[in-house]
Amino acid sequence: MLVESGSIVTNDILSDDVRCMVIQVPSIAAEAEPGQFVMVKNENGGTFLRRPFGIADVDREQGRILLIYRVAGKGTQELAGLEPTMELSVEGPLGGGFRFESDGLEAGGRTLLIGGGVGVAPMIYTARRLAELEPANKPVFLLGIRNEGELFWQDYLKDFTKEIVVTTNDGSSGIKGFAIDAMPEILSRYDIRHIKICGPTIMMEGLAKLAMKQGIECQVSLEKRMACGIGVCLGCTFEGMISGKRWKICHDGPVFPAEEVFAR
Amino acid sequence: MKMNMDRLATDFAGIKMKTPVMGASGTFGFGIEYKDFLDLNQVGAIISKGLTPVPRAGNKGVRIAETPAGMLNCIGLENPGIDRFLTDILSQVRKEASETAFIANFSAGTVEDYGMMAAKLDVDGVDGVEVNISCPNVKEGGIVFGTDPKAAAAVTEVVKKNTSKPVIVKLSPNVTDITVMAKAVEEAGADAIALINTLTGMVIDTRSWKPLLGNITGGMSGPALRPIAVRMVWQAAQAVRIPILGLGGITCGQDAIEFLLAGASAVAVGAENFVHPDAVVQVAADIDAYLEARGLNHVSELVGKVQIG
Repeated sequence: MLVESGSIVTNDILSDDVRCMVIQVPSIAAEAEPGQFVMVKNENGGTFLRRPFGIADVDREQGRILLIYRVAGKGTQELAGLEPTMELSVEGPLGGGFRFESDGLEAGGRTLLIGGGVGVAPMIYTARRLAELEPANKPVFLLGIRNEGELFWQDYLKDFTKEIVVTTNDGSSGIKGFAIDAMPEILSRYDIRHIKICGPTIMMEGLAKLAMKQGIECQVSLEKRMACGIGVCLGCTFEGMISGKRWKICHDGPVFPAEEVFAR
Repeated sequence: MKMNMDRLATDFAGIKMKTPVMGASGTFGFGIEYKDFLDLNQVGAIISKGLTPVPRAGNKGVRIAETPAGMLNCIGLENPGIDRFLTDILSQVRKEASETAFIANFSAGTVEDYGMMAAKLDVDGVDGVEVNISCPNVKEGGIVFGTDPKAAAAVTEVVKKNTSKPVIVKLSPNVTDITVMAKAVEEAGADAIALINTLTGMVIDTRSWKPLLGNITGGMSGPALRPIAVRMVWQAAQAVRIPILGLGGITCGQDAIEFLLAGASAVAVGAENFVHPDAVVQVAADIDAYLEARGLNHVSELVGKVQIG
C-alpha cells in the first residue's frame, strides 16, 4: 500500500448522479484485489480529508483502476468536476478483499453476488475475479437499484456473470421492490453456496440474516465515515458479534463474515 | 529522506529526539500503523493514542465529519487500555521504532487513577508521558481537570510523584485564558506543556435537523485551527519557562516554523497524518530545508524568535 499520484484517464457520466473515473495508478493497480479500496484526494481542491472508494475494476496491463461513485457531497462534487490528465493523490490498495472459497462450487453450486446502490461498484471486480477463477461457473448477480436509470451497471457486469437479476424500487425494470424480494426466486433456481454483498447496511442486514438462516456462507463489505483508511483514526470501528473484538473497517475489513456483523 | 540530523536533534524536556517533529496523540496510533509509509526512526517522537485505566469502546454513531479546512471527531478515546498496551503493544513499538522516542498519552477519571497510570507507565521503552486533561469527547477524558487550574495542578502533581519520566501536560484550548492553565501546571511541576488539543465544535445535518456526530459535539482539528493554536502557544510562551510542544493544524514545514517562532521548542503533526501518512517526516525535512536556506545551524535558533514591534 502506498500513496501514488495518478492521472485521470476518463471521468464520465453514467446517470444523473453517478460518475465513473479511470485513474492511471500502475503500482496500486498491480496490487489491488477485489473488495479493497483507495483513499483519494484532489491536492488542488477544497476538501481536507481523503475520500474512500471501493475499487470497481482493475486493468493491470494498462495500470489503471476504475472508480464508480455517486455525487453526494462536496468531496464527490469536486471529483465530478475534474477532467482527464488532471492529477489525483491515490492511497491504496487498502484493507483486505473478499475471500474466495470454492467449496460446493465443483458440485454445481454457485456464488451469488449482490450489489445495492453505489455498492455495486466493488462487485464488478469481484465478479471478474470469480469468472476468471471458475469460467464454467460464473456467479449469479443480484442488482438492487432505484430505477431503470441505473441499469448501466449491467454493461460492466454482463461478461462476468451467468445471469443478472434486477430489482428496482419503483418497478421500472425487473422485480419491483428491494434486493431481498428476489431471493426466493434465485434460491429456487440455483444452488447458492456463497454470497458476497456490498450495499446499504439495512439491505445487507436483511440479506445476511437470510443467508445465515439458510446456512449459506456470506461475506459483507462495510462502509463507514473514516479519516485515515489505515487503522489510526478509529472513526470506523465496530464490535464483532461473535468475537467481541473491536474491528477497524478500514484495516481489518472492509469485508467481514456476515455473522461477525449482524445478529442471527 | 535526507536530513541534517545535527541541525534537527532536539532535547525536549529531557526527551531526546532526532527531530523536533512528533506524531500527535490520536492521529498516529502507536506509530507502528505508519511503518509502510515512513521510516519510523526518522520520527521525532511517537505520541500514543490516549490510554485509559480500562479498555474503552469509544462513542456510538458517526465519529468523523469534514469541516472547512479541517475535521471534527468524537472517537471517545477508544483504546485497548493500559494493561494490554504494556503487555502486547509496547514491545511491538520498540521493535519497529527502536531509535525513536515514545511518549505515552493517557487520561483518567480521577486524580488517583492519573497517579496509578503514571506509575504503570514508568517502564523501559516509554521515554515520556503526556497527560491528557483536555479530551472534549468523554467525561473520563480529563476535560474537567483541563478547565480548572486547581484540578489541573492536582493531576500534574500526582503524575510527577508517580513517575521518573518527563511529564508533558496537554492543555485544552476550551478555556478563557490559556496562560492561567499553563502557569498552574508549571507550578505543579510539569516538565513541559503541549498545546493545543481540539476545540469543541458541532455540525448539524440540515436535511435531518440532527447533529452529524453521534456524540453531538466533537473535537475540531486541522488547518482551520492553526492561527488559534499559534496565538495560544505565543501567549503561553510569555507566561511559562518550561518548554512548549506546539500543535494544531500543522501540514508542512512553514506551519511548524510558525509554532517554533511563537515559542514552541517542538511540534506535533495531527490530523494531517490522516491525509498524508508521511507528514511527520515531510515536515521535518521541510524544516531542515528552511534552516539550510536561512543559513541557520540549529532548529532551536527559531524558538520564540517572532519579532514583535
